Amino acid sequence: MAEQVLNITNLSIDIPLSGDVLHAVDGISVSVNKGETLCIVGESGCGKSLTSLAIMDLLPQKAIRTVDKLELNGKSILNYSDREMSDVRGNKIGMIFQEPMTSLNPSFTVENQMIETLTRHRNITGNSAKKLAVEMLEKVGITPAKPRLKQYPHQLSGGLRQRVMIAMTLLCQPELIIADEPTTALDVTIQAQILELLKRLQSDFNTGLILITHDLGVVAKIADRVAVMYAGQIVEEGSVYEIFDDPSHPYTKGLLSCIPVPGKIKKGERLGSIPGMVPSLIGKFSECRFAGRWTVEPSKHDEKITTLIPIKGSKYEFSVDGTTNHIVRFCCKHCLERSKSKINKGVN
Amino acid sequence: MAEIMIDAKSIVKDFKITKGLFLGKENLRAVDGVSLQVSQGEVLAIVGESGCGKTTLARILLGLLQPDSGSIELCGSKIDQIPRLKLAKTVQPIFQDPYSSLNPRKTIGSIITLPMRVQGEKESTEWTKRAFKTMDLVGLPSRMFNQYPNQLSGGQRQRVAIARALINKPKIVICDEPTSALDVSVQSQILNLLNDLREELNLTYVLISHNLAVVEHMATRVAVMYFGEKVEESETDKLFSNPQHNYTKTLLSSILPPDPRQRSKEN
Repeated sequence: MAEQVLNITNLSIDIPLSGDVLHAVDGISVSVNKGETLCIVGESGCGKSLTSLAIMDLLPQKAIRTVDKLELNGKSILNYSDREMSDVRGNKIGMIFQEPMTSLNPSFTVENQMIETLTRHRNITGNSAKKLAVEMLEKVGITPAKPRLKQYPHQLSGGLRQRVMIAMTLLCQPELIIADEPTTALDVTIQAQILELLKRLQSDFNTGLILITHDLGVVAKIADRVAVMYAGQIVEEGSVYEIFDDPSHPYTKGLLSCIPVPGKIKKGERLGSIPGMVPSLIGKFSECRFAGRWTVEPSKHDEKITTLIPIKGSKYEFSVDGTTNHIVRFCCKHCLERSKSKINKGVN
Repeated sequence: MAEIMIDAKSIVKDFKITKGLFLGKENLRAVDGVSLQVSQGEVLAIVGESGCGKTTLARILLGLLQPDSGSIELCGSKIDQIPRLKLAKTVQPIFQDPYSSLNPRKTIGSIITLPMRVQGEKESTEWTKRAFKTMDLVGLPSRMFNQYPNQLSGGQRQRVAIARALINKPKIVICDEPTSALDVSVQSQILNLLNDLREELNLTYVLISHNLAVVEHMATRVAVMYFGEKVEESETDKLFSNPQHNYTKTLLSSILPPDPRQRSKEN
């Protein structure tokens, strides 16, 4: 059994608005093992980024986080003080943001910013810190690294900035890296390089990686496990092969039919689509989360009827292969019926 | 032989960049001798990394920028001899970010009908009639006529931008990254819509994109740009199966196919 780096159970995030509450994240559970890559995919506004902020305890002040369990390396970090949390951030959990231009400080040099991390968490200063910074920049493929140290973020290209971000994140050798859309702002050629780099460094340092993205190409390239989020819930979770070969939730099926695949869809052929839009998460749900989002025309994934095995103790949670690896969650009875899945009551 | 809609010959565009205080100006060649021909009903995709001059070229084709040298003919007449209003009836843009390309203080109705008012259409009943027709065409419910852009989702906003571009029935539409700010589920809706409209209205598209999967799906021909120059141009299938230029090869190898099985082959 691989070692678990992160374990969250039943995380909910509520944001009080004037007179009402926005239920941004609704009872999700995630775990990541050492050396494993978990990709969280979903449309914008489904709560992906808030989930990652909640792990770091960086949510906006108004937001209310309720969680049953939040463990890093088997130790609960739930009741850590601000001071203790800031020891964890950047040291045990590293974070890579979408837009490197806004997450690097424009008024300090690369050297300043890299050494600051080392001084704060490792108490390494002076020449030894500089040496470590150069080494790390070389590891992320910035050669020669020395002249870059004296440069400011605006003097670097987008790809280089993201590499500097990754180098800074890796300086303290964190046990977990959370990357929130790390390549969305970059060109395709550079995106491929950055993903390769992340994958290589992750296996070198044996860190856990949570990658948040909406690009299914990125997911197919880098993920070990995938969690598909929709309207604040994880609707399907499984290994990358299970999700792409055997999508079992209608939403996952729809999402997969939306992407143009080079060589697979003929020119002029219509892409699948998910009609409607993400429901508002304000207030309680009176109807199904998927109301108005069911496709009228059946997609090619729909022909296969999935057999689901109920999981004991939960009403709308099902296992696809009989184990807890590939799990599908429905939000209500209506949604389960519409998905046309067959339920195997014989097992259990 | 289909009519040639866009005929651009060796376009060059320079920008002057300040080297620093008192240091004078430097030339930056954004577009360097690009020639393009697009026939009616074609979809020409222009791909390349950021900063390679794709958008500058699009602005030149729209008549928003003057090229330093070279000539452009739209539908057989020179672009600088077409009066502005007529030019706007010939070619229309759809921009990348529907959050910044719509005026937040105007209603959807007034955004969509503005091109008609500019063109001097006097009858206000005609405005609304045509606006409702166009909104229906792009799949916007008519109740949104009096709403503001901030009440709409990203996909709906992009539909408004498309409706605004199409209301005067242009012949050429220049789409500058029309889906890169959108979610995949919305992207597929917009791509389907653009395809349907092309057939229905007999449009010619110039599609600027860095998403090669989108390009493969939409385009009939692809031009690859690199540092301001057009390095390769060919039919879509030919380009994807047999790329010639080194940069095109790099570009194609960086496609991420949404299929985890293909990853193990590479490693």
